[in-house]
Amino acid sequence: MSSETTAGPAESTGPVERLHIAGLHAATDAVLSVRDLNVRFNTENGVVHAVRGVDFDLLPGKTLGIVGESGSGKSVTSLAIMGLLPATAEISGSVRLKGRELLGLSDKAMCEYRGNELAMVFQDPLSSLTPVYTVGTQITEALTIHNPTMSRQAKEARAVELLAMVGIPSPKDRLRAFPHEFSGGMRQRVMIAIAIANNPRVLIADEPTTALDVTIQAQVLEVLHRAQEETGAAVVMITHDLGVVAGMADEIMVMYAGKPVETGEVDEIYYNPRMPYTMGLLGAVPRVDVAEKTSLVPIEGMPPNLLHQPTGCSFAPRCPLVSDACLAGEPALAPVAGGVQHRAACIKAESLGGADVDVQDVFAAPPVPVSRFDSIPRTERSTVLQLKDVRKHFPLTRGALFKRRIGTVKAVDGLSFDIREGECFSIVGESGSGKTTTLLEIMEFHKDQDGEVVIGGISNKQAVDAKTKSAMRRELQMVFQDPTGALDPRFTVYEVLAEPLQNVGMDRPAIRKRIMELMKLVGLQPDHVNRFPNQFSGGQRQRIGIARALAVNPKLVVLDEPVSALDVSVQAGVINLLDKLRAELGLSYLLVAHDLSVVRHISNRVAVMYLGKIVEIGEVDRVFDNPRHPYTRALLSAIPVPDPQLERTRERIILQGDLPSPLDAPKGCNFATRCPVFAALPPAKQEKCLTLEPPLEPVAPSAATQALEAAPVPSPDQRFACFFPDGELDEDMLVVHEPADHHAP
Amino acid sequence: MTNLNAVDPAAAAQDAHLENADVVIGKNTIIFRRFMRNKTAVAGLAIFLALTLFSFVGGYFTQWDKETIDPFNIGMPPSAEHYLGTSQAGIDLYAMTVEGTRISILIGLIVGLVSVLIAAVYGCTMAYFGGKVDKVMLFVLEALIMMPALLVVAVATSGGGEGLKRDLPSWLLLIIVLLVFSWMGTARLIRSLSMSLMQRDFVKAAQYMGVPPRRIVWRHLVPNIGSLLVLDITRGVTGAILAEVAFSFIGIGIKVPDVSLGVLIGGATSQVQTFPWMFWVPLTVMFLLTGSLAMMNDGLRDAFDPSSSSSGKARKTKARRISAETATMKKKAS
Amino acid sequence: MLKYLARRGITYLVMIFLTTSAGYFLAVSTLKPALLEQERIPRPTPEQVATSMRLKGLDPELSPWERYVEWLTAIVTRWDWGRSPNGAFINAEFGDRVWISTRLFLASIILTLIIGVALGVYSAARQYKFQDRVITSYSYLAYIVPAPIAYFLVQLGAININETVGQRIFFVTGISTPGMEPGWEQFVDMLAHYAVPTIAITLVGWGSYQIAQRQYLLDNVNADFVRTARAKGLTRNQAITRHALRVSFIPVAQSIAFTIPAIFAGGFFAEKIFAWPGVGSWSIDAISLQDVNAATATLAYGSVIFALGAILADFATTLVDPRVRVQ
Repeated sequence: MSSETTAGPAESTGPVERLHIAGLHAATDAVLSVRDLNVRFNTENGVVHAVRGVDFDLLPGKTLGIVGESGSGKSVTSLAIMGLLPATAEISGSVRLKGRELLGLSDKAMCEYRGNELAMVFQDPLSSLTPVYTVGTQITEALTIHNPTMSRQAKEARAVELLAMVGIPSPKDRLRAFPHEFSGGMRQRVMIAIAIANNPRVLIADEPTTALDVTIQAQVLEVLHRAQEETGAAVVMITHDLGVVAGMADEIMVMYAGKPVETGEVDEIYYNPRMPYTMGLLGAVPRVDVAEKTSLVPIEGMPPNLLHQPTGCSFAPRCPLVSDACLAGEPALAPVAGGVQHRAACIKAESLGGADVDVQDVFAAPPVPVSRFDSIPRTERSTVLQLKDVRKHFPLTRGALFKRRIGTVKAVDGLSFDIREGECFSIVGESGSGKTTTLLEIMEFHKDQDGEVVIGGISNKQAVDAKTKSAMRRELQMVFQDPTGALDPRFTVYEVLAEPLQNVGMDRPAIRKRIMELMKLVGLQPDHVNRFPNQFSGGQRQRIGIARALAVNPKLVVLDEPVSALDVSVQAGVINLLDKLRAELGLSYLLVAHDLSVVRHISNRVAVMYLGKIVEIGEVDRVFDNPRHPYTRALLSAIPVPDPQLERTRERIILQGDLPSPLDAPKGCNFATRCPVFAALPPAKQEKCLTLEPPLEPVAPSAATQALEAAPVPSPDQRFACFFPDGELDEDMLVVHEPADHHAP
Repeated sequence: MTNLNAVDPAAAAQDAHLENADVVIGKNTIIFRRFMRNKTAVAGLAIFLALTLFSFVGGYFTQWDKETIDPFNIGMPPSAEHYLGTSQAGIDLYAMTVEGTRISILIGLIVGLVSVLIAAVYGCTMAYFGGKVDKVMLFVLEALIMMPALLVVAVATSGGGEGLKRDLPSWLLLIIVLLVFSWMGTARLIRSLSMSLMQRDFVKAAQYMGVPPRRIVWRHLVPNIGSLLVLDITRGVTGAILAEVAFSFIGIGIKVPDVSLGVLIGGATSQVQTFPWMFWVPLTVMFLLTGSLAMMNDGLRDAFDPSSSSSGKARKTKARRISAETATMKKKAS
Repeated sequence: MLKYLARRGITYLVMIFLTTSAGYFLAVSTLKPALLEQERIPRPTPEQVATSMRLKGLDPELSPWERYVEWLTAIVTRWDWGRSPNGAFINAEFGDRVWISTRLFLASIILTLIIGVALGVYSAARQYKFQDRVITSYSYLAYIVPAPIAYFLVQLGAININETVGQRIFFVTGISTPGMEPGWEQFVDMLAHYAVPTIAITLVGWGSYQIAQRQYLLDNVNADFVRTARAKGLTRNQAITRHALRVSFIPVAQSIAFTIPAIFAGGFFAEKIFAWPGVGSWSIDAISLQDVNAATATLAYGSVIFALGAILADFATTLVDPRVRVQ
């Protein structure tokens, strides 16, 4: 794997010779070669230098992963290659496709390449297809443009073939469907079908799975993989998620502030990073497959403003290893001694190699906080929240204009669980599984709800007067997903934090004092209270949201996707803060997140939801290390981990299709329609799944444990709802990416 | 709202350090600066203010008033005695224009302000109560939209209503009728806007904190639809002035002896050839009035809307696309 | 779909009924035709007036409620909308009026729509260029001129042309010259009568469509799906005309659908200025002639047209936007 990536000349030459040699070399080997790409935008505030000196060679059939946070210039790079930037962008450098220069071509001249040899898949599948044309029309259009002589029948046949290739069932009928009749995942498949319609030599995928659920992400990545195999295209994969590219990429380019700061072969980057930023990024991501309890690596500060030409290393203001030398001129991307194809833009790159460098030490990760409740057995702690058979059913209507009721959605269907003092309980599942509705049901808290919600000993059935309700509001507060939307843009931080305090009738001096405390608690400077939310970065805004939730000293904080809107490097700081607060203040959390790595990192217990029901619940390490329900297994398997070797070899379960409409929910097990175990069961056993609803039952202690222990052991904290947890998985849903064989046994 | 502009100097210094100059300014200051940077809008504001001033103090610069007949100057073109000439009946046009401008501006301002107020109250109530109340109020609103306003104007001002006409000057009657038919569109807009605001996380956060609904409406909803209200006021003022002119022009709005720009223009149509000044002078004033309002409205819209770029260079759009692009990158699936 | 339409239809029927009833009460309590009768020469006695009114179903002695019941019964049972104070039957006059309004507005509204939408597209494609600025400024100018004044100015212009040329090319008022023999002469006469109103209404009308179409198109020019189309290999202009234009037309189609029934309802201002006795000017004349029944009838007609427009707009949306179609 190592030597086959880029046998280019850059291997043996320095950066100075690079440009010169590139011209000689590109025509033969690299299908796409980019040299010294620079993009500038003139804005009201000045010139934004969005991309600064990007170089790479892409060999046929290989995959380059471009990794960076928002604003790092990775998307602008891809648009510059495609020639899709607005005409006023100043682009310099060279982009050669099979030796032909693309920069400077007119829009019309570029059209010969776009969609033909050079294709692109965009991030947001919901808005990327024209709403008024059928999917078939949009695929056929891509064929017509580059094959004007192709017959109608041939184009239709090809469109059907393409849809089948990207895994859309009954492709012939779906040709006449409109984009809005497709789910997000399906639309992204259509986008891929359009992109590969003319067998491109280079396929650029710009965050193709960012807007999708993990299970759908796994499907789409699989489709991309297959598309690459079928067409032999070289792929540029742009992402912020180090996990997504780990298994796919041959080479990685890490971008920061518009500039590549580390490039190299994939294993080198993941296992031997030399640039502190890369090290930080890798350390900032929690791992779903490791039960470790270490703090995440936080990268302080925020990316620089691209309006200003950096005088030193652009990462220096956030770098823990910064020295005066770092500020004297921006370091060039230089080869790293001992590394194959490995270059880093850091003057300390040489000293950062080797196993003795611990990223935790480098970034001064805080110690793992310990809560006073951790030592008390769970059963002896008091209950802060209890749900008893909570249900929420919505009428389902169809059509935007002509609404009519076509059934009932059981968004939450008989949910029971409890949260004890000092613990973090998480709910995971795909979107549509009912996890957010569960939160809303808890937050709404009124007596007409179906089922009982008990918060700090107050039941919703007693919530008739305002007094009981306000007593409950002091026990329970919420942190929202989007930190920007959750803060009134017209309030200063002081006003934001004062609102809950005024509401409980605190007097002015006390409010002032409390706000100062809160600011310090969440790691913000107390003298920033007079600023407006838009003057803070995303991570800081989320800290304000957390401070507001903590203002009235609640026992339980509900966290709705608290870090999903944040950049990777910022996310770690917020997770560490949440961890610290739970320990210091003895808080309990109810967390809803789609990112299972985050869930594993901070929760004690977890519930997996599917179509409004809990299918597996228990202690987080038990559930994640030994999942019993096939859905939990599929969910865990869908998460890519930032470990290239593991990603390349591991077996993964790819669920078929989307989350079914809750209307189609079968009588028996909800999951049967997508279940990999069900698919492999003999018909007699399938019958059981289809007719009986599996109850949530505890895991039986294993025979080995029982044999060893004399007395009966208490059953472990893990329950699941499946009749055949040990059943074999269906082969069609198992995928292993070994270069040679496809379907592993 | 009072301390919106109170930027802590220490914080300001901090931000200067952050080298991010454009984020330290309060929102209202930004809006004000954007408006002031728009030359057209500022010119519009100046013209409008000048006309208003003229309509109130202009009368002091002439000895004539809108009723006195000058028997020696009948149908005379502009002269030193009569700055803008006289009508066929010998009444000073300057005096009439001052009076007419005042009435027109008055009608515009009152209708513009009050209709937005009605709309805000009505729209917020609908959004706030929702459910059945919303349905009934929406029905009433749509029924009113359906009613041809002009007909009612005509009935109220020209048909019967003798009693009304005796007690109220025709301009007040017109104001009332215009008011009844001018607020529905805005009310509907405010309703949908408040409804979407109610869905915003910061409103939910306040609800989950137990903040009483009335306070949420006052502290979170009203300030956030403020920009829309301001825009609708200028639009409403223009609309009312235009409506007055149109109605009076065809003879069903304001009636003599009351004077307005519409009455002056309408009355002079038959004499454009003979007494052109009688037609063109009030028409020019009307253009200045509605034109200046339109210029202001344009500037205000630009100032309020961070994504608008109608004022200038295509360059702005790109920066925005980049930031939009980076913003979408942050979006992950929920 | 049908059920939905039926429900909308019923809602609108109720609304029409309510507005019309409210209009009737307003009219019956403010309009006093008997007062006008008394100004006739020779002056009739109050008894004579009352009798004549009673014969036409306009008895002033009855209470508004009694008259309302009478009026409503006549409509419901005989579809008889009553009579004017001069004795004319509303039902009979109605058809003529609608036909005149239609003739006045049909051509100009079609022109307005075509010119407005075309200029909108053209100016959006040349955003911030000279042509765009001129076209869009014109539209804003049209917005700040009251319609009757604009019509009057066009009339003035036509009169000036007539005077400059020295012969009557355009008629600025009226529908046709009476007593014309059918043939070429009459056709020329018709053109001379139609030209000024049609041009005036078109000039005033297209602005709002131009601004709307321009804005909607600009909103879509940088949409993600246009980028996708370009990534397929379409040039920017091709991507905009094939993809953005179609999407931007959705809201415009809706407002066009709303406009079409209005052709038949006429416009007060244009009919008044150009002296075409259509529905619009009828409603105003009805008021000055203290004609309760005619005023109410035009009001009812206006409400029906509005409701039709709203339903048609829904239809148009389903036609052009697949997202709202019911599968």
